[in-house]
Amino acid sequence: MTQRAFQAAVARLVVDPAFRDRVRAIGAAALDGELTSIEQQRVMSIVDEKGLDATRTLHKSFRLTKLYSTLPLTRQLLRPNRLAKEIGSFWEATPSDSHYFVDESIAFCDFLRKRLRSGLRIKHLEEIVTYERANLNLRRARIEPEVPKREIVRFRYDPIILFEQLVKGKHPRAVPERTCTMIGRVNKEGKVHWRLSEKVSDKV
Amino acid sequence: MSAQVVIEGNQPLFAPRLGVGLLYQEELRPFIECQKSSFDFLEVIPDLFWTDLGPDQSPRYIENRQAMEILRQLQADVPIVLHSIGLSIGSAHRFDREHVSQIARWYERMKFPWHSDHLAFIVAAHGAGEVNVGVTLPLPYDEESLDLLVPRASEIGSRIPRPFLLENNVYFFKYPDQELTEATFLNQLCERSGCYLLLDLHNLYTNSRNHAADSYAFLDELNLANVVEIHIAGGMQHDGFYQDAHSGISPDGVWELLEWVLPRCPNLGGVVFELLGSWYVDVGEDRLIAQLSRMKDMWLRYQPASQQGSRL
Repeated sequence: MTQRAFQAAVARLVVDPAFRDRVRAIGAAALDGELTSIEQQRVMSIVDEKGLDATRTLHKSFRLTKLYSTLPLTRQLLRPNRLAKEIGSFWEATPSDSHYFVDESIAFCDFLRKRLRSGLRIKHLEEIVTYERANLNLRRARIEPEVPKREIVRFRYDPIILFEQLVKGKHPRAVPERTCTMIGRVNKEGKVHWRLSEKVSDKV
Repeated sequence: MSAQVVIEGNQPLFAPRLGVGLLYQEELRPFIECQKSSFDFLEVIPDLFWTDLGPDQSPRYIENRQAMEILRQLQADVPIVLHSIGLSIGSAHRFDREHVSQIARWYERMKFPWHSDHLAFIVAAHGAGEVNVGVTLPLPYDEESLDLLVPRASEIGSRIPRPFLLENNVYFFKYPDQELTEATFLNQLCERSGCYLLLDLHNLYTNSRNHAADSYAFLDELNLANVVEIHIAGGMQHDGFYQDAHSGISPDGVWELLEWVLPRCPNLGGVVFELLGSWYVDVGEDRLIAQLSRMKDMWLRYQPASQQGSRL
């Protein structure tokens, strides 16, 4: 049991800066009581090591890469400061439990949608996050048979102009209103295709 | 044409001498398809060919059909060995037998000559669940760690009838007062479990640079008869540390280590170059060819055909 608690403490030092600060502040009292004295000494000896910072940087790159590579429009819309703040809050609430990019990115989309429901106000974020989440779900659908192979995303602003500005690295400006729907499907070859419809019903 | 590797009490295992290998990355596929003569075999990370839905899910592993077709085509041209990232063999809170079963299923399909994973823990208990740190965290070089690892590595060896290799770890912090040196720890692990070593020379180089350690003292102490595969790679200095970033061609120090170690590994099956696909644009085709060509020259110089089939 002590090996398990020791590894949990080392991993937590890497992923949880608040825990690391607590260990620094109050010492071994912050650690699980199951640790042996040598394990406690080892944890206390690495807590201030720069190598632990380097390990945390690697852990952050591991998680950041997942979000950066799979959510390019959300990343561009949020811009660096807001993105860093939201990612920080997401990481505090959600430890990484998988090697896989899609799961982590879908969880981040769900986190942002929850933030929107609880008062976060960023123009176009609802549509962009919902679209990128749907796109990821369709990627899952290519290999997981039980995941639906069709997604519908409603827009209140012109998605073509919105996407174009974001892809060019611009912050969206003067995007005209357009009530429409984007419908994504996985075709027989396993490729994801999106089309635009002016209809807004579920049965487009 | 193979080196005999013997597990005490078990049937002899044979690790073929494959030569020079390249780590498969999707971004390298055009290179791999056009430059087949520049390498002898490929190493693939099987975890990238499936989605792992997590322990106790059924089915747990969903294989990507398109990626599997690519793999099938590649295997028709060159031998493939596996280098997994998903076992986390050092995790104290659980031993992932489902992962071992998945590798065993791949063995039935692919009959790979050997397979490997990392000597570390990546997943740890975290509250009521667990956390995947995404970084290979070091195990203390103690008897207690050997007690954890030996039955696991031994079980893998008994379930998959090909040499199972563990890779020496790269680490950015060290635990004080460890009972064994790293080399003695690795020797003991191999001796007691029947597993073998994937000697990552770039990890060794990285550790030596960051911790001012003597790579050659480590190699002197290491039983090189256990080494079945070698990794080389390139990295970069960042934030006060040299990083094992797989971001370029190998530095001179790694070539020197390779030159020293190659003639001293009697059971070596191959030397693999690791390059992250996203850095291929930076490295370019010519430099990748030059890297592999230099590896091939060394391989032919120090692992001559006359050694093939020898047993130590």
